[in-house]
Amino acid sequence: MAGVPGAKTDSAEGRLTEDRELVERARHGDQEAYGALVTRYQGVAARTAYVITGSDADAEEAAQDAFVKAYYALDRFRPDAPFRPWLLRIVANEAINRRKAAGRRPTVALSLAEDRPSPDTALSPEGAALAGERRELVLGALQRMRDEDRLVIAYRYFFDLSEAEMATALGVARGTVKSRLSRALARLRAVLEAEPARE
Amino acid sequence: MSSPLRDEELEATLRDLGARLAYPMPTRLADAVRARLGAPRPMRAGWRALVPALVTAAFLLLVVAAGVPGARATAGELLGLRGIDIFRVPAVPTSGPGVETAIPGERVTLAAARAGVSFTVRVPASPILGTPDLVYLDVSAGAERVTLVYRDRRGIPRSSVAGVSAIVVEFRGTVDEQLFAKAAGPGTRIERVNVNGGRGYWMEGEPHLFFYRDANGAIRDETLRLAGNTLLWEQDGVTLRLEANVTKDEALAIASSLR
Repeated sequence: MAGVPGAKTDSAEGRLTEDRELVERARHGDQEAYGALVTRYQGVAARTAYVITGSDADAEEAAQDAFVKAYYALDRFRPDAPFRPWLLRIVANEAINRRKAAGRRPTVALSLAEDRPSPDTALSPEGAALAGERRELVLGALQRMRDEDRLVIAYRYFFDLSEAEMATALGVARGTVKSRLSRALARLRAVLEAEPARE
Repeated sequence: MSSPLRDEELEATLRDLGARLAYPMPTRLADAVRARLGAPRPMRAGWRALVPALVTAAFLLLVVAAGVPGARATAGELLGLRGIDIFRVPAVPTSGPGVETAIPGERVTLAAARAGVSFTVRVPASPILGTPDLVYLDVSAGAERVTLVYRDRRGIPRSSVAGVSAIVVEFRGTVDEQLFAKAAGPGTRIERVNVNGGRGYWMEGEPHLFFYRDANGAIRDETLRLAGNTLLWEQDGVTLRLEANVTKDEALAIASSLR
């Protein structure tokens, strides 16, 4: 969040209040304020789109298009609602439509960053190898799942969205989030078990 | 792996994965977005206050000036190719990406399209176009839209983007709730024209994207499919557009032939 204009606090509540102010200003034509919202949420927007598209370029473009659309849609954004999940819904739609328009391939190619600091350092060499193997397996299965299933899993486990945020971001009733997630996990398991590790 | 992962193991692996994906890390999206927003939002004075002006103007076009050179070029290239759309597009089996996969709605007969919307669907009587080859009806998510597709027409070059000669799109939208904002490249020319007694816009040049408000006031966006010349106008509360690589006069003639 460093360098976000107007960002004075990291607390969730503070962020909501700041978002609300920025949205209100943007709604009245303040593009600087909207720019601050873009800067604040460009990361999560691009990550969300990447989970769908599996392509950096597509993800950034989907995020960019989504921000433009969201700007023009600010009038129908409920001012007391949180901005992030509302934005993510537009981002995800944009990314999914982009995949469809390109003739949806059955799998997406998600890559792991090689140079991320490894949380495995506390593990024994065997433990680290096992964790690495699991990652590869689960990643392989995720790449073959429906966009919508991958998305619900990502919201929960990659981006730590709350249940309420997930409901908005997915466009479903709050009570539906749990079942969506458990169905997605069940399908993930089914893919994992159907195609065990080659070797 | 010999045994299935336990729930905790699966969840831990997912969290681990989530932290390690090679996500794009955009840092300057705000500049690119602002460049595309172009002029300040017309809502500055309060959206509702502008409604009468919009009624008069019918459509308000926001032409986005050339922005960040790199971002602009990319967006310009993409606008013509991707056919992105916020509408749900059914997975219609076709022989490759073309206008048919990009058109929202379902393929129907003209009669079904007429029965499916609350407005009068008009069809050009122009001999250049003849009868539409395909008709699409989209009534999803509050939309009411009919698209007429003309494949090969003598004298009208097929669009390289969509492989058809012309499309006519008609949709319902209360005019006072509509806002058009067209993201155009620097090569696009827009001219205000009179179409069948009402105000319209003739757009020539590069592919376009525009935003409008539908009958429910929701913001929608449309990618102009054929990346060619476009005539956009309003008639009896319905917004129509013709996309075809024809001259302005030919487009106006087609528009005046609507029955």
